[in-house]
Amino acid sequence: MNYKLLQIFRNTPFGRETFLQSLYFCKTIHAHPVVYIPESDKFLMYFPNDAIQIDLDSSYLTSPETAKQHACDLFGEMGFKPAFFAPRSFTASTLPDIPTNFDYFCCPRSVSDLSSKIGLGHIGPKVRRIIKQAPFPVLLTSLVFKPWKSIAVFFGGSTNARKALQMGLRIAMVSKLPMDIYTLREKKSQGYYENIIKESDLTAPVSQFLRNWHYYEKSESDAMLYDVPHDALIVLGAYGHGVIKDLLFGSKMEKIQSTVTNNLLITGPQCELSLIH
Amino acid sequence: MDDRLLLIIAGSIAGICSGLAAVALRLALESVTEWLHPFRHFWWAFLLPAVGALLSTVYLEKITREGAGHGVPEVIYAVSKHGGLLRLRSSYSRLISSFLTIGSGGSAGPEAPVVMSGSAIGSNIAKLLWLNDRQRTTLVGCGTAGAIAGIFNAPLAGLVFAIEVVLGKWEFSNIIPIAIAAVAGAEVSRAIIHEQVLFNHLPFNMGTADILPGICLALFAGLISVFFTKTLNTSGKFAKKNRFPFWMRAIIGGSVVGCIGLFFPVVLGEGYHFIQSMISGTFTMGIFLTFVAVFAKIFATAITLGWGGSGGIFAPCLLIGSLTGIVFHKIVFLLFDNAACASEGAYALLGMTGLISGVMQAPLTGIFLVLEITGGYETILPLIVVSAISSTMSHYIEPASFYFKELIRKGQFLRPGTDARILSDLNIRELVSTEFTTVSENMIFREFIKILKTSDQFFFPVIDENTGAYKGMIEIRNIRRHVLNPGIYDMVFLNQIMDTDILTASLENDLHDVLEMMETNNMESIPVVEHDTFIGMISKTRILDLYRRELIMQTSVR
Repeated sequence: MNYKLLQIFRNTPFGRETFLQSLYFCKTIHAHPVVYIPESDKFLMYFPNDAIQIDLDSSYLTSPETAKQHACDLFGEMGFKPAFFAPRSFTASTLPDIPTNFDYFCCPRSVSDLSSKIGLGHIGPKVRRIIKQAPFPVLLTSLVFKPWKSIAVFFGGSTNARKALQMGLRIAMVSKLPMDIYTLREKKSQGYYENIIKESDLTAPVSQFLRNWHYYEKSESDAMLYDVPHDALIVLGAYGHGVIKDLLFGSKMEKIQSTVTNNLLITGPQCELSLIH
Repeated sequence: MDDRLLLIIAGSIAGICSGLAAVALRLALESVTEWLHPFRHFWWAFLLPAVGALLSTVYLEKITREGAGHGVPEVIYAVSKHGGLLRLRSSYSRLISSFLTIGSGGSAGPEAPVVMSGSAIGSNIAKLLWLNDRQRTTLVGCGTAGAIAGIFNAPLAGLVFAIEVVLGKWEFSNIIPIAIAAVAGAEVSRAIIHEQVLFNHLPFNMGTADILPGICLALFAGLISVFFTKTLNTSGKFAKKNRFPFWMRAIIGGSVVGCIGLFFPVVLGEGYHFIQSMISGTFTMGIFLTFVAVFAKIFATAITLGWGGSGGIFAPCLLIGSLTGIVFHKIVFLLFDNAACASEGAYALLGMTGLISGVMQAPLTGIFLVLEITGGYETILPLIVVSAISSTMSHYIEPASFYFKELIRKGQFLRPGTDARILSDLNIRELVSTEFTTVSENMIFREFIKILKTSDQFFFPVIDENTGAYKGMIEIRNIRRHVLNPGIYDMVFLNQIMDTDILTASLENDLHDVLEMMETNNMESIPVVEHDTFIGMISKTRILDLYRRELIMQTSVR
């Protein structure tokens, strides 16, 4: 396995927490972190159907003279060989292109607003667009470095939820950590969800790695979120519904991310993954 | 929906929207030029282009946060590398910034910004409809054609420019939607702006006698084109090297252009009014001053675009070309006062074609644009001659046009169907064959022989059995003598006979780099190693297989 995670490095205490989180993630799942230290306050990511310009907040350019050393120190602290990404293509002289062929992307809940504004309840528009377009899962980190000890997959039966489950299984396989599934039943029986697993050919791996499958009634969503261990990595799908449904009812992922402080690994509608990559 | 019908409908929408953008910019520029006209006579008028450039660059850098530039290379880059993906903000940002630059007197043209805008509109319509790269690229061409057709009321020029310069490929499936978009853009322009021909049509009597002077003018225009291209590039590089902040650069550049404008008002703005006077033969400047004005306009444009202003080189090319034509005509009559040449206006047209063809190295665009904007179809023969010679000469001295030069330098100019494009579309990950049996460095040779008997591999990656790290490679052809010597089977470990100096590639490498590595070192296959881990091998056979597949995909009839 040669998974790579891209981290946009922010040379601030908050950025350090985010980076430590992604280093821990990589260490746990045996992936390789690659750091991009921005030299300008913007960059472009070309996805198959969108070109997203990320306008970084000014804190990403803090003390550029110490950024690389700080990143190397953190790499060393977690036992990684430093790996930095240097852009080769530029759409304009100050607008580098960042490739989108990484396996994971790590960012805080917002990359364009000042870190002072970042908190639960706010997900940046750029992060939202990345999740919607990315062929890779996006790791949204908690505000402070918090190692996780188990995996919690939110599974509602949708296509995106299936991807999340596959992702959770992949992490459970390599990390050997226990995996729990949390399902909010929407007037459907347990058999319905189990059948989806069966149809997706995931019965064997699920039975191998699953610790507990927790079912909740639709009205118990807050209770479900409270029951998720504080030190679990939450894996969930996002933006699987159409635009209209999202406009009317909002995104479940956004509600979840505004309630829990855990690290979130989000698989968007364009995320491409298989159990064995 | 049928693919062609879909592209025609979406292309028409892109053409209409681009036409509207073009008309909006043209009308806005006319209004602001009229509004600022009374202030041009004051001594402080030289500051107007500085203010415009400052507002323009601040708007681009701080509000829309786009890199400055006139945009056409960015559109070509998007088509070359990213299937025509352009940002939504590009559909309006350049319109506003070029309005500020040109309206205040900056020496630039509004055409490239509307091309950028139209292309971005086409790209974003494609994004909305979730179209694929090929369809999106066609819609980018539709936006481009609609924009050029709209601003010049020249649908043919729009079609030709979109295909010749932006897409680089004449393809049946592209031509129809782009032609319809060009017509849509021109119709929108006609519906809104009643005075249609940008420059009034006058009868130009050009005959065989003008062919020889036309050839000489083409050579002259070719030289001026090369000088213009080099000055544009040098100015941009010089501006980037200095340490002034971006806003200060814009103020300095704008002030310099304003100062030049005090002595040569012909350099200010897009200069359509002066072009009209040159075509109609009412341009009164003397030969020496006209000659100086050619260079004044070149420097003013280079400073405007290089130092933070926003705009394109289309209109400057037309103006410099007209001035060149006028200078040449005056020189001919100075030397041969009985020369049986056509009027000054006719030579201004030839000069325009020469400059457009030379700077953009797009001869067809030069011919059709001048024909359409002047309505002077009787000049077509000399126009073709001038266009062909000027673009050839310019290409001979400066192989890359202004639009392509930077992209070629960075290796990002990838036209559809070319080797470079096909290779760039191959994903290095899919080229790697991963089905390889690895062997341990501490394996005794006899054990290896057993593996060899049942394997058809020619390469065996050797790894550290504890860490899994890649240590070297055993290539069968290099160990033949050991294989034929059973006496050493129990005496040799693999780490004693493996090759440790074989070059390795990484997944980070471009295919271009990998091929160069293989070519330079005469390798048929190259191991791919990432973080000390053996990933697989890339072989020339595999590259050829995927190249053929990609070629068939890109060139198949749709």
